[in-house]
Amino acid sequence: MNEVLMRIENAKAYYKLEKVSVRAVDGVSFEIFEDEVIGVVGESGCGKTTLSNLISMNILKPLTLVEGKVFMKIDGKFEEISSMSREEVKKKLWGKEITIVPQSAMNALMPTIRMAKYVEHLAQSHELNGKELLQKAEKRFEEVGLNPLWLKRYPFELSGGMRQRAVIAIATILNPKLLIADEPTSALDVVNQKVFLKVLMQLKRMGVVRSIIFITHDIATVRQIADRIIVMYAGKIVEISTMEKILQRPLHPYTKGLFNSVLTPEPEVRRRGISVIPGTPPNLINPPSGCRFHPRCPHVMEVCKEREPELREVEEGSKVACFLYSEERT
Amino acid sequence: MFATMIRPLFKNKKFIVGISIFLFFLMLGILGPVLYRVSPTKMTWDYEQPPSAKYPLGTDTYGRDVLAQLLHGIRSSLYIGFLAAIISLSIGTVVGSLAAVKRGIVDDTLMAITNIVLTTPSILIAILIASYLRIRSMEVVAVILGLFQWPWFARAIRAQLMSVMSREYVYLSIMAGYSDMRLVIEDLLPTIATYAFMSFVLFINGGIMGEAGLSLIGLGPTRGISLGLMLQWAVLMEAVRRGLWWWFVPPGVAIVALTASLMVISTTMDEVFNPRLREE
Amino acid sequence: MSRLVVENLTKIFTLGFFSRKRIEAVKNVSFEVKEGEIVSLVGESGSGKTTTAKMILRLIPPTSGRIIFEGKDIWKDLKDHESIKDFRRKVHAVFQDPFASYNPFYPVERTLWQAINLLEKKPSNKKEALELIKESLVRVGIDPKDVLGKYPHQISGGQKQRIMIARCWILRPFLIVADEPTSMIDASSRGGIIQLLEELRKEQGTSIIFITHDLGLAYYVSDNIFVMKDGEIVERGHPDKVVLEPTHEYSKVLVESIPKLYRKLEGL
Repeated sequence: MNEVLMRIENAKAYYKLEKVSVRAVDGVSFEIFEDEVIGVVGESGCGKTTLSNLISMNILKPLTLVEGKVFMKIDGKFEEISSMSREEVKKKLWGKEITIVPQSAMNALMPTIRMAKYVEHLAQSHELNGKELLQKAEKRFEEVGLNPLWLKRYPFELSGGMRQRAVIAIATILNPKLLIADEPTSALDVVNQKVFLKVLMQLKRMGVVRSIIFITHDIATVRQIADRIIVMYAGKIVEISTMEKILQRPLHPYTKGLFNSVLTPEPEVRRRGISVIPGTPPNLINPPSGCRFHPRCPHVMEVCKEREPELREVEEGSKVACFLYSEERT
Repeated sequence: MFATMIRPLFKNKKFIVGISIFLFFLMLGILGPVLYRVSPTKMTWDYEQPPSAKYPLGTDTYGRDVLAQLLHGIRSSLYIGFLAAIISLSIGTVVGSLAAVKRGIVDDTLMAITNIVLTTPSILIAILIASYLRIRSMEVVAVILGLFQWPWFARAIRAQLMSVMSREYVYLSIMAGYSDMRLVIEDLLPTIATYAFMSFVLFINGGIMGEAGLSLIGLGPTRGISLGLMLQWAVLMEAVRRGLWWWFVPPGVAIVALTASLMVISTTMDEVFNPRLREE
Repeated sequence: MSRLVVENLTKIFTLGFFSRKRIEAVKNVSFEVKEGEIVSLVGESGSGKTTTAKMILRLIPPTSGRIIFEGKDIWKDLKDHESIKDFRRKVHAVFQDPFASYNPFYPVERTLWQAINLLEKKPSNKKEALELIKESLVRVGIDPKDVLGKYPHQISGGQKQRIMIARCWILRPFLIVADEPTSMIDASSRGGIIQLLEELRKEQGTSIIFITHDLGLAYYVSDNIFVMKDGEIVERGHPDKVVLEPTHEYSKVLVESIPKLYRKLEGL
């Protein structure tokens, strides 16, 4: 097993509004290892984007880290990044240790600023030599299959797919250890999606980034690159497993339902059919008692309504939060 | 549905203040001249009298009762404002919806005209027309003002209608066999109604301000009395320099209060009438 | 038997008054839908699939070509109000955006009342009509008291889309055009919508045209797939043929690039 790069311990991140709190991430613990691609899947509103904000320490009001800690290995030793001030985070973490590729490159890049300007900003904020960094950026542009001269262009001059690659090139100039990609492909057509995944994996093979967190609702996409996968439901992790295992035998009833609702052009899918999870995801202001999936679960038992299942290892490499796999089942 | 739309308005304090002030002046304009039966134009020898029991708001240089003038002035200013607003709203609605529905060449032509009117300095043209006419009734002034307020409204209506007409719910109503008329009444009008009402309020405002502006430079109505005309006389007779405050303060206060209340009404409506922001 | 025949359908949009610009949205499209058949028009945005759908639904007129439903050209042979109404009864749609499918000024059941008023045999009184509405809602898996009287922003996207299907269930149309009916709702609700449409087909022999960008969905539900690119149909046939042995360059690349669940893409 590879070494741990980041450890999240019982993190609770709520959106504190005037009267209520939205419990978007509610008691989540897991590790990210070095040299792995980890996928986070779930439906909209399950807290996966909040999780990405949490990992990157991009915590802005009303989002508050209520409880829990996040540790990251920086220069060989673990530091608690959840206790850093925003200034420290900006200086020490972003760009150098952690970087984010967001869903829409248009939101990430100002249309009126040449892309080279971002490199300058980066150099300034990290007190680096601007010229050297620009050369690095040119090289990185080439590596992701873009013409280095395009650094001098405005973002709107590039097509959607190229723009997304430009974002990833700029985001990885300082060789960050962890890359967080939040729905990076959902705005692209399938051909550009594939190119983007290719670039992502190439950067990892070259050692530019060590580990990748790929957050998406599109299981078929994340399946292409992920080693492990985290399934989230209503602010909680319901299952963590290796990709191959989860494909062969998903454990949590929600995972089963989710995977069986994926439609891809494959004969297996036509044979398998499509499954339906009744009901709708709960709101996160007043989540259901016990297991949050119990109102929709086909295997619901008495204990599920009363107690929250813990996320525990049931097979090697597979953790699941479900009473079906524990002794408490009655 | 209508009730549920209106109710939140009356929970808004700003709106209540605005509508109260406006209704107060509306009542003054409607009932004032009926209850206070003094002719606003009758000249007497009691000239430039400060407020007294006989003349509650004093008299002007010609011995005319200022309170009577004020009540009639509010009435006429509101009349001009409403008339100008109705004219602007009608032209804007017709032009905007024709452009949106007919598209193509009709749209191009109407929008070209709209843009021309929009970019001409309207007050200058209004001054030109007004000075060309020797006799100007209240209605003529209202028409002159109404003719120049509509372009931005027409554009907004066109844009709103075009966006609504490509919404799926409009298609679904068409597929439910709705006639064009029914579609317009049930699906299109409600969406533009709140916007049109807000614009109407602003148009009244524009009419009142426009009348005051034209009157102040001597191009207001040639007959009758309005808030603008009162101010014009006060300015002509140098009431400000001579300290005849009872003459120019009341119409000034009335104009400011009326236009301010209308602005408050339209901005609070803007806040409240957004279906997306509305809760439960 | 053929329910719908589309022959050489073409739509050209012209933009601008002074500098005219021609956009060929749909070029010479021909296909056929049989009774109880599910077909899919697959393409990216801008491929002309939604424009084709709108012409079939008699919402925008074609520039040339014919759309024949039940033996009649829907743009030329339907003249009077009654025959158009009859067409509306028989051809219906479910749209992509559940939020835009409801006028925010009215409660959600308005869309079901519209369907009732369109029926040839209307329920004799309001009470019976309400019963029918409730029945349709139960049929699509919704508890009537959860949605009746509610406004669109108060219910979920999945529920909205189910109510659209309840509308189809009341009307029992011969043909449903489903324009991306599942692309804006969550994965776990998606299966339910597809199953409901399949049940309509099974019970009433409804033909369904899926308009979608999702070849996976098309492959799963359809009897026939038409792949569109730049306004033209470039590949057609049985799902297995289109997906497993595509012939056109575009569909080859498309099938190759779509991420699969049970196998990895090559060259990553």
